[in-house]
Amino acid sequence: MTKPNIAVIYFPGNNCEVETLEAVKAAGMDGKILRWNTKEYLSDFDGYVIPGGWAYEDRIRAGVIAAKDPVMNIIKEESRKGKPVLGICNGAQVLVETGMVPGLKDKVEFALAPNKNPFVSGYYNVWVNIKSIQNKKRAAFTDLDKNEVLKLPIAHGEGRFVTKDKALVKQLIKNKQIIFQYCNEEGKIEDKFPTNPNGSMLNIAAICSKEGNIMAMMPHPERAIWKRQIPGSKKTDQKTNNIRIFESMKRYIIKNK
Amino acid sequence: MVDTELVDVKGMSNRMLQDFLKKNAISLKTNEAKKIVKLIGRNPTLTELNIFNIQWSEHSSYKSSRKVLKTLPTKAPNVILGPIEDSGVVELGTIDGEKYGIVMSHESHNHPSQVVPYEGAATGIGGILRDVLCMGAKIIGTADPLRFGNPDGKNKNKVKYIANEVIDGIAGYGNAVGIPNLAGDVYFNESFDDNCLVNVVCLGILKEKDIIHSYAPKNADGYDIIIVGKPTDNSGFGGAAFASLILDEEAEESNRGAVQVPDPFLKNVLIRATYEVFNEAKKQNVGLGFKDMGAGGIMCASSELCSAADYGCELDLDNVHVSMKDLPSYIIACSETQERFTWISPKEFTPTILKIYNKDFELSNIAKNARAVVIGQVTDEKNYVVKHKGQVVCNAPIKAVTSGISYDRAAKKPKRNFKEPIIKEKKDYNDVLLKVLSNPAVASKAKCFNHYDKNVMGTGIIEPGQADAGLIKAKGKYGIALAVDNNPKYGRIDPYLGAVNAVAESMRNIAAIGAIPSALTDCLCFGNPEKPEEFYDFKEAVRGIKDAASKINYYKTKNPVPIVSGNVSFYNESNKGKAIDPSPIIACVGVMDDYSKAITMKLKKENSALFLVGERKDELGGSVYYDINKQVGKNVPKIDFQKEKNMIYAVIDSVDKGLLLSCHDISDGGLVATVSEMILGGNADGTIGVEIDIGFSNLRNDKALFSESSGFVFEVENKNVNKVKNIFKKHNIEMIQLGKTTNKKTLTIKKNDDKIIDLKINEIKRPWTSGFAEVLS
Repeated sequence: MTKPNIAVIYFPGNNCEVETLEAVKAAGMDGKILRWNTKEYLSDFDGYVIPGGWAYEDRIRAGVIAAKDPVMNIIKEESRKGKPVLGICNGAQVLVETGMVPGLKDKVEFALAPNKNPFVSGYYNVWVNIKSIQNKKRAAFTDLDKNEVLKLPIAHGEGRFVTKDKALVKQLIKNKQIIFQYCNEEGKIEDKFPTNPNGSMLNIAAICSKEGNIMAMMPHPERAIWKRQIPGSKKTDQKTNNIRIFESMKRYIIKNK
Repeated sequence: MVDTELVDVKGMSNRMLQDFLKKNAISLKTNEAKKIVKLIGRNPTLTELNIFNIQWSEHSSYKSSRKVLKTLPTKAPNVILGPIEDSGVVELGTIDGEKYGIVMSHESHNHPSQVVPYEGAATGIGGILRDVLCMGAKIIGTADPLRFGNPDGKNKNKVKYIANEVIDGIAGYGNAVGIPNLAGDVYFNESFDDNCLVNVVCLGILKEKDIIHSYAPKNADGYDIIIVGKPTDNSGFGGAAFASLILDEEAEESNRGAVQVPDPFLKNVLIRATYEVFNEAKKQNVGLGFKDMGAGGIMCASSELCSAADYGCELDLDNVHVSMKDLPSYIIACSETQERFTWISPKEFTPTILKIYNKDFELSNIAKNARAVVIGQVTDEKNYVVKHKGQVVCNAPIKAVTSGISYDRAAKKPKRNFKEPIIKEKKDYNDVLLKVLSNPAVASKAKCFNHYDKNVMGTGIIEPGQADAGLIKAKGKYGIALAVDNNPKYGRIDPYLGAVNAVAESMRNIAAIGAIPSALTDCLCFGNPEKPEEFYDFKEAVRGIKDAASKINYYKTKNPVPIVSGNVSFYNESNKGKAIDPSPIIACVGVMDDYSKAITMKLKKENSALFLVGERKDELGGSVYYDINKQVGKNVPKIDFQKEKNMIYAVIDSVDKGLLLSCHDISDGGLVATVSEMILGGNADGTIGVEIDIGFSNLRNDKALFSESSGFVFEVENKNVNKVKNIFKKHNIEMIQLGKTTNKKTLTIKKNDDKIIDLKINEIKRPWTSGFAEVLS
């Protein structure tokens, strides 16, 4: 069968689209970087990635303007057909601002607030560890081994998942929508800096939609798909386990076609 | 001829002329204004006066420095393009039959950063990205050498404010455009109290055949001149001339208008659109000229593009898209509005350029009224003709506009009364080491680096702070390394040795990870060149760069490590007339043909052997040890060029053979700071301890521990020791066994049987990780 074809969206101000496409291809999919103003063929793609950066300069609030771009309406429509949508960093902010994640009420339910960090205020770029706390089949991106720790960077100023709505938190836990949590190297989830690098509620690094085909994640798996990219690793072109997020996406598409 | 009124430069008395120039904010000297009359054969228009004002500013014309700079070694077999265009290009290597080049540029944005630090630092990055992009390159990394005032001195609040704002400005701009930060350093001392230094280095990559030059291509008569980017305003007006003024606190307010407004969001889109133009031009095999619009704006870019190819041009300023009404012609022509470029394009390719910027990337929706427009044509007539509102406002021989001026400045050796201090010896140096590690020159710069994006683009191999140099994957297995250097206090004591050390250390930094030092850039930041003592320091520093670059030859050749790009920033002094420390800031780029061999500074294994190369000497002038004793001293490290290059070659060879586990160059804080950093590693999470003995040295204990004499410390597995020794022996370098790594989480240093340092890793971690952050808060 043909390889799944992924659109990596470039909103003006995004800056991770090239390496994101590289990750998509490294996982055995095809893909293309699509400018925000070339919408014609958007619905022909099998899945979508909204990459990191500063879409529309993060005017007003991170992700807000891009969330209102007509491109997102089309992607939302396609996601209803079950197509997978991954938002990374700024892309996660966009998905949260569209209400697609967590997607319980079709409105913005969550905020990605400024980091809480005792050392550096604002933008913070370091390597962190995360792990999926759900089973392999929970979402389109979670075909990972239980307790498998992923090492990858965060690079954001506003990445702290937060809400005051306690019922929503309960619902997310019940629905198994919290996918990745920040943990230490051994996989222990502890709510303290630096394990939790931004003060995110429940150490949340990624949450998905109820159906599991849309995921908003703050860390950058696309910057950590080759061993050479990981500090302290052998500088080889072997793939790391971060690629499995994209490989999961591929398997999910093939299975659902 | 011109249609507008002429300024009667010829007829005015010197006094009147001086008043006239001052009133019109023109910083030309009266004799310079008169020189214009001779050059163009008549009185100039106001627009022409403004044009020459910018072209003859120090910033644009290098009028004081040009002759001195000519002495630098800029030619070598690996140079693809020397320092004549916006950036230099040095060879990376040949991959799949294609020769690749590394594009390199180095600039300062010192004066703007002192006045409005966030915007000054941000526009500094903005400008240098354009310098690299306009060569036709893909931008791949930046580095930021920074110098701030004394954070504990009388200006401490302002110093901290400026430092924090500058760091935020670099992050705000660099992160948004998505270019990884590869290296940088930060020094603080009182000489920068009123005049910080904000340097930025930028790298790009391209195929040699794809270079786009900063001059019109062949047969360009009738080609279009296109400007693209932000609409022109007056915001940067006078920036080039401003950069050449001494900062006067009272004038700061009015100087604010001379700082440009950065727009990283527009730049992000402009860069991507420009990559598309490159692709289309390659597809259609079209020759273009392309230049950044920095100092001097439209005027400087258009005149230099055409003049350098022996053409003239004719511009119509009414075609320029502007964001302010009723701008006078000289402001439209010379404004330094950010985020703009100039293209020279054949008429048939113009629609493609306009479409990419205006339609595909919708520039006008990205920033209000941003766009690409045709503003004129290249002509065969060799005149620089500018029209505005139907009138000719400038019509001068283009060579006159671009020829610049040059001065022979007087140089006089200043008196320097530096003395070696008398410091009492101590029984142990635990407390001293902790102080040295918390000194901001030594302490971890993580607070800075973690505020910058280091891994965007996914090319990172060694991130800043993890080793002496940053390293990224370039093409295939090739890696590109980058390091920056200059200890300002060395320059204060001896500007020649300050420069020599900066060059040598930057090369050691590159070698320490295993890369070959391949090219240098220099950003020469000095005081007022009209003062003979300050000009002497400048000349001495250039002599130092020349000697070090020529004598620490390119790896196993007789060639220099060439200087491929650079910048001069004069008038770095306070309004009280005190110059900053002579600061020739050096960046060195390194090439590795297999990045997988690169090593970091962090210790890797217990029970491996630790070696020192480079003997310890009584060279603590300008050292951190003297600094914490409130002394400056006199004995700046001297570099034995022959030994230095042998040491560098031997380290490169040993890394290449996979024989070193870790390696770190000796600089600020001396041997013991180097060893401490190897224990901690860039993230301060190291757990391997060290036991060493400094019995090899006849120096006093403090001098052996803290001397900043050139050298390396490296870690070798016992089974490989003989192999490494053979390599160093071949290069005539003696390896001194320092000791070994241990499973104890301690740093123990003995002199024969006396313990002179005995600290737990946790104890050295605290000052090293907090020293820099504390200075900023």
